[in-house]
Amino acid sequence: MAGNADIVLDARGLEPPEPLVLTMQALERLAPTEKLLVLLPREPYPLYRALALNGFSWQTAFRSDGTVEVLIGHETS
Amino acid sequence: MQALLSFDQAPPFSAPIRFFLTAPLFAILAALLILWEGPDLFVSRWTAATLALTHLITVGFMLQAMLGAMIQILPVVAGANIARPRFVAAVVHLAIGSGALCLSAGFLGHPPFFNLAALCLGVGTALFAAAAAWALYSVQSTNPTIRGLKLSLIGLAVTVMLGLLLSIALGESLALPLLQLTSIHLAWGVVAWSIALLAAVALVVVPMFQLTPAYPADFARRFCWAAIVLPILWSLVDLLGWQIASTTLASAMALLTGTFALQTLRLQSQGTRARFDASQQLWRVGMICLIAACGLWLLARFLPMLGDRREWPLLCGILVFVGGFMSVIVGMFYKIVPFLVWLHLQNRGGGRILAPNMNKVIAGWQIERQMHAHFLSLATLLTATLFPGWLAYPAGLLLLLANTWLLRNLVAAIVFYRRHCAQIDATISASP
Repeated sequence: MAGNADIVLDARGLEPPEPLVLTMQALERLAPTEKLLVLLPREPYPLYRALALNGFSWQTAFRSDGTVEVLIGHETS
Repeated sequence: MQALLSFDQAPPFSAPIRFFLTAPLFAILAALLILWEGPDLFVSRWTAATLALTHLITVGFMLQAMLGAMIQILPVVAGANIARPRFVAAVVHLAIGSGALCLSAGFLGHPPFFNLAALCLGVGTALFAAAAAWALYSVQSTNPTIRGLKLSLIGLAVTVMLGLLLSIALGESLALPLLQLTSIHLAWGVVAWSIALLAAVALVVVPMFQLTPAYPADFARRFCWAAIVLPILWSLVDLLGWQIASTTLASAMALLTGTFALQTLRLQSQGTRARFDASQQLWRVGMICLIAACGLWLLARFLPMLGDRREWPLLCGILVFVGGFMSVIVGMFYKIVPFLVWLHLQNRGGGRILAPNMNKVIAGWQIERQMHAHFLSLATLLTATLFPGWLAYPAGLLLLLANTWLLRNLVAAIVFYRRHCAQIDATISASP
């Protein structure tokens, strides 16, 4: 999944709400064809809802070390 | 792209916050009861006033805080949204608040209130358990927290059903083995409901807010199962009168609780933060109190010299409920409430106005001082079990101070929220 990403944001080890804020900031700058990969220590259910509400699609994958990978792009891209 | 800052508001801010604001009110009532009854309250765990005090803390303070937190945490950690959260929160809040008051009135010499308490608490917890179970029903148990939340709901249901049975038995003077049923009710309430929920939530919030490593995978996978299976087995053998098996399984429950607390302290020591904040300190004291309570319980069980003394059950109860759960709940309030204020203000700004820094929601020095008042009230309550004549009234006063301060800090967060809501609305309506 990491190979498909244009931007990688490692938000592991950050205290809330920093992962959410950094993800939003990265998405504000995301070009229509780009993909953002966010690395998190757990599944970000509130982020999923925000993405769905705002026209983004995403895929989630789970690494063996517990890291959750969320690959985000514009729905039209 | 600013529209991204719009979240949906599930659950609405009012749903969890009404529970959080009510919890300290019950701790204040508990403090007033100590001041009213004085040293007599520390004579035995079985006096009517002591049972009223216990339920003001467990049903009044703890249950309010735990159900409010669950309403908030289900969507965040499990993606499970409670349907009609405003309605569910309003009814559950009213029912369990009224139930806690009626239960205390029943213990304080008005037996007809026991039946009313049973009705209110039965309706409130049944509605909550049904709403939470419905929300979780379609959610796969993909992580130990989701499984732990589901299992803890079983713990809550059994605890409340046993409580209803006891309440009706007291109200109607039914001939039931009340002491044995009370012990089973207590074990389910502490281990299968409270410790299971605490552990399920801790698996997420301790690493997330305290920047520690994750709990070991084996521990995370097995703990909540053990927290529900052990009370089931222990209840059965205790009802069957198998003494050795009963003592062994009861000791296993104490060791399980101690293991969770030790594991949490170990993770805290591996955290990356240079200096513990108030929330971490409250967690640390909470875990130390749980370990002390487990050690005391085991010693009293096996040393008749200690087990025969009237003080140890009171000491154990204060360590678990005020030292353990109240400390952790207060610590969680100081993380959850500012985060919710920030999140809902961010949402209200619609991407055009940024929410203020989370650390400004409740002033740091107010949190620190309230925490010290809580620690002082805990230490005085513990010492009052040994010297009630000297310390019962100071303990009541300090519990009153600590929880009035807690209420003040939570109200400050609401005032902050409302002030910034008004500012955001004014800015948005003034801009083209």
